[in-house]
Amino acid sequence: MNTDSTNREEELFDAARRMTESGARRAFLESECGGDGRLRGRVEALLSSSDEADRFFAESTSALIAIELAGERTRGGTPMLPRDWAEGIGTRIDRYKLVQKVGEGGCGVVYLAEQEEPVRRRVALKIIRLGMESHSVIARFEAERQALAMMDHPNIARVFDAGETERGSPYFVMEYVQGVKITSYCDQHRLPIRQRLDLFIQICHAIQHAHQKGIVHGDIKPSNIIVSLHDGIPIPKVIDFGISKATEGRFSDATASWAGLPLVGTPAYMSPEQMEMGGLDVDTRSDIYSLGVLLYELLTGRTPFDAQQLLKEGVEAMRSRLYELDAVRPSLCAHELDPQELGRVAQVRGCRGSRLIALLRGDLDGIVLKALEKDRRRRYETANGFALDVQRHLVNEPVMARPSRWGYRLQKLVRRNRGVFAAGGAVAVALIMGTGVSTWLFLKEREARQRAVAAEQQQTRLRQEAEKREQVTQAALLVSQERFAEADRLLDGLSLTDATLEGAAVFRALGEWHALNERWREAADRFGILLRVNQLDGADVTSLDYLERGPALIELGDVAAYERFRQEAIIRFADGSPHFAERVVKISLLTPANDRLLEDLEPYGRVAREAYMEAASSGQAFEAAWRAMSLGLLAYRTGNYSDAVSWCERCLSSPDFNAPRMAAAQAILAMAQARLGRESAAGMALEAAREMMESRTRGRRDRGTPVQGFWFDWAFARILLREGEQQIEELAPRS
Amino acid sequence: MLQSLGKGEGRASEELLPLVYEELRRHAAVRMAQESAAQTLQPTALVHEAWLRVVGKGGQKWLNRAHFFGAASEAMRRILIENARRRSRLKRGGDAVRVDIDQLDLAETGPEEKILLIDEAIERLQALDPEKARVVVMKFFGGHTNQEVAESLGVNERTVERHWAYAKAWLFQNIRSQS
Repeated sequence: MNTDSTNREEELFDAARRMTESGARRAFLESECGGDGRLRGRVEALLSSSDEADRFFAESTSALIAIELAGERTRGGTPMLPRDWAEGIGTRIDRYKLVQKVGEGGCGVVYLAEQEEPVRRRVALKIIRLGMESHSVIARFEAERQALAMMDHPNIARVFDAGETERGSPYFVMEYVQGVKITSYCDQHRLPIRQRLDLFIQICHAIQHAHQKGIVHGDIKPSNIIVSLHDGIPIPKVIDFGISKATEGRFSDATASWAGLPLVGTPAYMSPEQMEMGGLDVDTRSDIYSLGVLLYELLTGRTPFDAQQLLKEGVEAMRSRLYELDAVRPSLCAHELDPQELGRVAQVRGCRGSRLIALLRGDLDGIVLKALEKDRRRRYETANGFALDVQRHLVNEPVMARPSRWGYRLQKLVRRNRGVFAAGGAVAVALIMGTGVSTWLFLKEREARQRAVAAEQQQTRLRQEAEKREQVTQAALLVSQERFAEADRLLDGLSLTDATLEGAAVFRALGEWHALNERWREAADRFGILLRVNQLDGADVTSLDYLERGPALIELGDVAAYERFRQEAIIRFADGSPHFAERVVKISLLTPANDRLLEDLEPYGRVAREAYMEAASSGQAFEAAWRAMSLGLLAYRTGNYSDAVSWCERCLSSPDFNAPRMAAAQAILAMAQARLGRESAAGMALEAAREMMESRTRGRRDRGTPVQGFWFDWAFARILLREGEQQIEELAPRS
Repeated sequence: MLQSLGKGEGRASEELLPLVYEELRRHAAVRMAQESAAQTLQPTALVHEAWLRVVGKGGQKWLNRAHFFGAASEAMRRILIENARRRSRLKRGGDAVRVDIDQLDLAETGPEEKILLIDEAIERLQALDPEKARVVVMKFFGGHTNQEVAESLGVNERTVERHWAYAKAWLFQNIRSQS
């Protein structure tokens, strides 16, 4: 045999392998081999065993890894000699008798053992793997034991004892947790989402406990969480803290080697910072990330990123992709599955495919994505915080992970109190909402007035109103189900002559929905109605509602309407409280103003300045920063550019971080600096403003994902930035 | 940089280290991913050794990265075979240096034996068709992707695929027929 003949064989093998139909294959080989029976025989032999061959090599790859592990040497340069008790069933170690090997992982092997005294019971005995008794591995093993010994929590496997075998291999004895890994348990028992969340919450508490002891687990994944039954109740337990780090450096950390950079952990579950070279800057929030991946898997049956796929491109590629790729939110992930797969996934969650998607949408999406944030400052701070948000979802309270808006709160309100809403009545709403005195009074007064008005009405008008209210209520229900388009259609062309709280909430929610999707005309319309609704009553309008219309009008390009709008605002809030003054200033100055308007704004400016002082001195960073920004804008519009600069700088130096506000302040700063002839400072500020705006578009704009900052704050910033860009271009020297 | 390495300059070797180290680690990581989720690894020891062996030669001339990878895979193969032999010897106790094939039933071989058998079969393949054998070494011991192997050998990916599929079947047949 030589290269030519192997090439020939290969050619035939390759071609024949692709033929799935055996008849065709046989015919092909016959014609190709001619009379060469040996050749044909060899090719056929190869073909028949090719599957087995693939398997053999795949298994051998694991064998390779086993050998790699065993290759580690002790400092002395010679490997420890293992003796033959490796698989020694029945072997005794101290007072424990080994019964069966139950698992392998990391640097140790776990056996089921029987403890003989002082009490007979089954335990798990974990011992260092043969051939791995190097210093670093022993140290890590010891670290794990100590970590576990420190913990005392029903959902964490307990350590009972520790010691060394005759040969000097360290071991420790743990609670024997008999069960299956959590994902398998949930699927086998077809646990619905609620029950899965209950189990998940317990796991969060366990991790929280570990964190409080200064231990970061570092390898949270389904196979490390076993569910066992105690008196018929499923109890999840966290096992295997094998690669956990002690955050206080109490133990010798065995993860560093000469170049310090092992890739230890399970790719699908590793947080971006764990993937980083070194993984040394890993903290409790990495565990939060892994918990997020776990939750994702419990909900959808898959992990957010397919590690196998990514690893094919290499570790570096995987790392950078993980930083770029946003996780697909659970409901969308489910939605994108092919129907058969979706059906299967839903079935093991005790429901149908469409129902599953609906269950995941909204809260759970937000919660999971918050835990999976690339920037760990944006994740949940603590495992308990994570658990609490899940709990809030379970009792239908607003969840922290989602932006807090009227529409959303109303939705939650309706859900929590379905019975009451069905019975109807603004009274019921008022009783439940309890959102503040002014709203309460507002409602009480309105109630009284409504009764008076109704008494005067004619029959037909009453009926008409009732119909409209019906529509509004229906729309409210649609909004609560996030069917915004339908709700919007229902209310199209509806002019409200009657004011209801429900109506206000619905129109506000729809206005925001349009604005979020940049349909400015519709947004302005809805807000317009909202304002009219409030106006009908004559009661004080929360200026928040008013705010929303302003930017919408500008984006719409309706300059005249905006002009009218801001003049009206100034009049309306003439007896303004300090709380509103800053907002009025802000709202009215989105475009340059004439002297008359500026004059009218003087009193507001004064009040706003006082309000700033008050906030600054009482340490209310948030309020102070916003007020400073508005004052900066006012100073700019009145031509006091240096004042504008100092106000903006004051705003930007605030400890409170708020991207849209900072973007706006930078834009104003840029314009002021430009007017003062400081070109480079202006350029820098403008660049900073642009960057902030970029950070907003990096997130996504639908309701399922939290975007930091209210949409209109962003719209504000965008409007100012546009002006800034234009102006700086105009002022740039022509060269 | 790789070229100056050939001249045996120790310093260049250090500069090169982080670049290539990463590559070597990656291969270990690829294999790790192929394993069940329960397994977590420390690939650095292996990689470290491989690197030292490869670079320590000094006199070798490195033409390019691809060339280097071929050599690295070969180095990894040697390390692994040594480890496998050592473990196998220890398990059997005493002086048996070469695995006695006649006494082995393929289905019951332990991991070390499997590796040793594969290695011997590769040597046989090498005598017949060195190119295919190189593909096997790079894919199996080096954990390289088809693209990398293609680059190293100067062929296209399709050829690598073909070689790998054929070689696996050939080696398996060969091993089986020996016992």
